[in-house]
Amino acid sequence: MIRTILLLAVASLFIFAGCGKKATVEIDDNPVEAEVVEQVPVVPEVVEEEVVTPDYASMAPIELGIDDVFFEYDSYTLSEEAMAILEASSGIFKNFGDFLFVIEGHCDERGTVEYNLALGEKRSIAVRDYLTTLGVDSSKLRITSYGEERPFANGSDESAWSLNRRVHFARP
Amino acid sequence: MRQLFIIFLIIVSMSVSAQSTEVTLGTEKEAWAKIDIMVKPLEVVSGGEKSQQHAEFVEAIIADDFRFSGLFNVITSAADQDTSSVSFAIVGFLEGRLPGTAITKEEDAPLLTLKLVTWPEQLLIFSKRYRPVSDKLRNTAHHFSNEVITYLTMEPSICMTRVAFTRGSADRRDLYCIDYDGANLLRLTANRTLNLFPAWSPDGSQLAFMSYREGQQGNYILDTSTGRVRVLSETVGSNLGPSWHPDGTEIIVSLSKTGQHEIYRLNMAGRILRRLTISQAIEVSPEWSPTGNDVVFTSDRSGSPQLYIMGADGSGRHRLTFEGRYNDSAAWSPNGDNIVYACREKDLTQIVMIKATGEDRQVLTDRSWRNCEDPRWAPDGRHIVFASDKSGVFKLYVMDVLERSVRQLTFGGEPDTTPDWSH
Repeated sequence: MIRTILLLAVASLFIFAGCGKKATVEIDDNPVEAEVVEQVPVVPEVVEEEVVTPDYASMAPIELGIDDVFFEYDSYTLSEEAMAILEASSGIFKNFGDFLFVIEGHCDERGTVEYNLALGEKRSIAVRDYLTTLGVDSSKLRITSYGEERPFANGSDESAWSLNRRVHFARP
Repeated sequence: MRQLFIIFLIIVSMSVSAQSTEVTLGTEKEAWAKIDIMVKPLEVVSGGEKSQQHAEFVEAIIADDFRFSGLFNVITSAADQDTSSVSFAIVGFLEGRLPGTAITKEEDAPLLTLKLVTWPEQLLIFSKRYRPVSDKLRNTAHHFSNEVITYLTMEPSICMTRVAFTRGSADRRDLYCIDYDGANLLRLTANRTLNLFPAWSPDGSQLAFMSYREGQQGNYILDTSTGRVRVLSETVGSNLGPSWHPDGTEIIVSLSKTGQHEIYRLNMAGRILRRLTISQAIEVSPEWSPTGNDVVFTSDRSGSPQLYIMGADGSGRHRLTFEGRYNDSAAWSPNGDNIVYACREKDLTQIVMIKATGEDRQVLTDRSWRNCEDPRWAPDGRHIVFASDKSGVFKLYVMDVLERSVRQLTFGGEPDTTPDWSH
């Protein structure tokens, strides 16, 4: 037993020695050390960084910096916060003036399927109309509604509901 | 003897029709006395084990049809049952082919004789003979129940009806249909998108529905015998809530092509015949009255969604609901007296019934049912189907609105919503 511990201690000494001077170590006939040398990680080659132009056409609106906006229960009135978000996004819409965007209206699960589909569309119309007043070309904006059918957050409490009452921007 | 029997029949039918009148007028349980009917085991004349199974299958379906109608107490002929109140009985026999003697499915079809008789005299009222191939046994049993119920009660029977609905969630919600008793579940679409609001044509051959099958909302018509789908309306914006005119020649929808949701009448080619509303409000969920003279719909012009009624030309608009901050999904009963709808109160949606005059508001469900949505009438005017998430996921339930008894129609883990009962 003591002999084994001693052997292990000697071996670990060799390991440390091996790590410390891996470039110059001379392989002798000690099999423990030989194995350790093989396990030393290869230093990765330095990859030259390429300058990549982002493929804006395939990026989601959120990646372009266009944030979703949120609503109160059973309301399609834009809040001050929602208007501020849209004002911040309007420049981005104009920058990518040749892209089509889909404005999706969503609702929380409360209420009926049909009324929520209409409410979701009212939300998307409110957003489209506000963006238009900010100078965004309305011909590049499409509206649609998914009502309560495609929730972003699961759950039946206000934390989930508030996340689901939104207008989400997508690409066609 | 024959004269006596005819007099007896007249008395029976008079008493039955008196009761039927009460059904359409009254909403109290006491108003209806059920008819006690006995379903006797069918006599198996030939065909062995398989015929015995067929006979029991047919008996069970007929007994369920009577029970589910809400108009009968079913008495079996078991020894411990009191049969003194029984006035009618179903008797019959089944002649099956001996195993191995038939070559084709048609040759293998049993001969089924079913009779409605008086009890205990066993005088024949009528008799029907059928030769159903094995996969038509269910339909045959429903057909016979339908004849008996219509004959004895003079009420429309629901034995041959089906319920269309949608199953699934998010981007995969397909149209399905199921027999009114929960058998024969059939999937009708498989287009990997969102399909909603199936609505039966009056003759039951077509379903109008809303779908995102072309990427945007549109209203479509599915021919249920061929499975072929055609476009009804694909206007910009919402294409919601198709509902058939009772004569089958028009469909009423809510379109938002002007930027506002308005109610329109379309012909079967999808051409606009008339626009019925003009307002900044959301106007959705239009449903015809059974006469086709009026339309009930939802509008939030008062600041919250409420039900309104207007004439078929958009005139005479008046508000129907004043209680509850959120009312939608109205459906008009077949006799025109009542309207059921979904009302949201204290964060749960419940089913409410109100007279078309706006009186006598009754909440049909309670909070133990959690959310109940999309009520639709059966053609008997006695039952409704609706979706409830009582079990944690929306499933369909059938309620007898007179007795308030409920049975579950669909099962499984996926949400089932927006049902419509065939006519």
